[in-house]
Amino acid sequence: MGKERVAIVGIGQTKHQSTNDGSIAGVVRTAARRALGDAGMTWSDIDAVVIGKAPDFFEGVMMPELYLADALGAVGKPMFRVHTAGSVGGSTAIVASDLIASGIHERVLTVAFEKQSESEAMWALSVSMPFQPPMHAGAGGYFAPHIRSYMARSGAPDHIGILVALKDRLNALKNPYAHLHEEGITFDSVKDSMMLWDPIRYSETCPSSDGACAMVLTNEAGGDAAAAAGRAPAWVKGTALRSEPTMFAGRDQVNPQGGQDCAADVFAQAGITDPLREIDVVEMYVPFSWFEPMWLENLGFAPIGEGWRYVEDGVTQMTGELPVNCSGGVLSSNPIGASGMLRFAEAAMQVRGQAGEHQIDGARTALGHAYGGGSQFFAMWVVGADKP
Amino acid sequence: MSSTAGAPTGGDVLKAPNVIEYPFSRTTGPVIGAFMTGMREGIIVGIKGADGRVIVPPQEYDPVTAEELTEIVEVGDAGVVTTWCWVNEPLTDQPLDRPFAWAMIRLDGADTDLVHAVDTDGDQAVMATGMRVKARWLPARPADVDTEADGGTSAGSDDSGYRVGHILDIACFEPEGVPE
Repeated sequence: MGKERVAIVGIGQTKHQSTNDGSIAGVVRTAARRALGDAGMTWSDIDAVVIGKAPDFFEGVMMPELYLADALGAVGKPMFRVHTAGSVGGSTAIVASDLIASGIHERVLTVAFEKQSESEAMWALSVSMPFQPPMHAGAGGYFAPHIRSYMARSGAPDHIGILVALKDRLNALKNPYAHLHEEGITFDSVKDSMMLWDPIRYSETCPSSDGACAMVLTNEAGGDAAAAAGRAPAWVKGTALRSEPTMFAGRDQVNPQGGQDCAADVFAQAGITDPLREIDVVEMYVPFSWFEPMWLENLGFAPIGEGWRYVEDGVTQMTGELPVNCSGGVLSSNPIGASGMLRFAEAAMQVRGQAGEHQIDGARTALGHAYGGGSQFFAMWVVGADKP
Repeated sequence: MSSTAGAPTGGDVLKAPNVIEYPFSRTTGPVIGAFMTGMREGIIVGIKGADGRVIVPPQEYDPVTAEELTEIVEVGDAGVVTTWCWVNEPLTDQPLDRPFAWAMIRLDGADTDLVHAVDTDGDQAVMATGMRVKARWLPARPADVDTEADGGTSAGSDDSGYRVGHILDIACFEPEGVPE
């Protein structure tokens, strides 16, 4: 950590949906304005803007941050763009945090977005090459073999993915900003949904969403001022980033080294030695249901091969010992570039006690987790209600 | 197939096309959308900034104060060239296939410049900073032409020859006073 403590004093997001009627600028603006409002600030209070999104070709606007400067009140201020595929929302928040921790800026606005309605990201991720059979269609096709590998190693039964999807979609009913609100969803309706990429069913897959998320981060003085004004901040207790190549000899895609190292780093910074007991709530990047048990193991919450048992035993339910994705998670809203920041922001909302119907009572310490690319980019932060 | 020296097997080299296509659509929002709708109607609109300037094309947020802008104003379709650059050899997909000028044009009633092409029948000597130019519009799409023929997905100038809501609904600008 740097020399300055970092506080999250403002959080905003859009209602995630399949098509937002606003322009790209309008979507990021909405989230940013809500974060500023939550922080009790205006554009002129902000020193710098850090913005992230998934690859530019998802909307076909190259370097959109340049034209978004007006919409984000960034004219004449430092503006920084972050690129780390699906994990970018998390990485972006960490860059913003570092600008505070290093003492460079006092108040930073950070924003992440995606407008999936402007294209078909699935096909952008499915470029076929000459003389090769088409290997996969979309991210689901890429990740399905990893899941099969996990099932083979751990002996997990087929229904684990269904349990995760059902839990997240039911949690989403408590989150007014979630894209999917599937009233009446049941175990059988998930089970009977179309098999897209065996073993991933339609209802075990994230939606394509338009949306944005924004946060205002400040130094310790800003956090203290927010607390004094009755707006409890969340305090950053640790941040970590790791990446690894998509392919190398001996790579373990099911339990990537980068994810293990990233988790070990962030927990060490936060002084956490027993994550399962010391973390109250987790917002985890789970775009396909089976990644919940896989990441429970990768992050050190469950022993290797046992993550699926935690799912089956209800540990990750809102009523369980380690609630995961009370917001409904990526499975219920996936504006790709924003999805990582939503995990980070929802973790902060929990320790600030502002998560509404999906609040875990008494949450003091939370983990926000994001991954991206071919399970190769990782970003995590631990936030707490108490000053570190 | 052609043989290439140094190919690993010494035989013919396999070739195959690899066309990467990836269509986009755009939600323009209330301000850029108003500009595009205006183009289709044959009018040009700008927006009034916080300092009273008329910005053309319109912007959603004020470039100085970051405030949301809402006051759409119509400007003229003729104006003054403030600076320009001659193109001797037009590239494919540029608005004209003969020599022309890219120009910054201060439309009547606007306080910012719009970039567009100026057609002088290939004569560079006609171009001058300060000269007046006016828009040469494509015709409106007749009512009996199916506007959904392109599935509503046309990303602009759709080769129909009619205005569709795109910056190239203005084919180009031309010196003012040129007979129709």
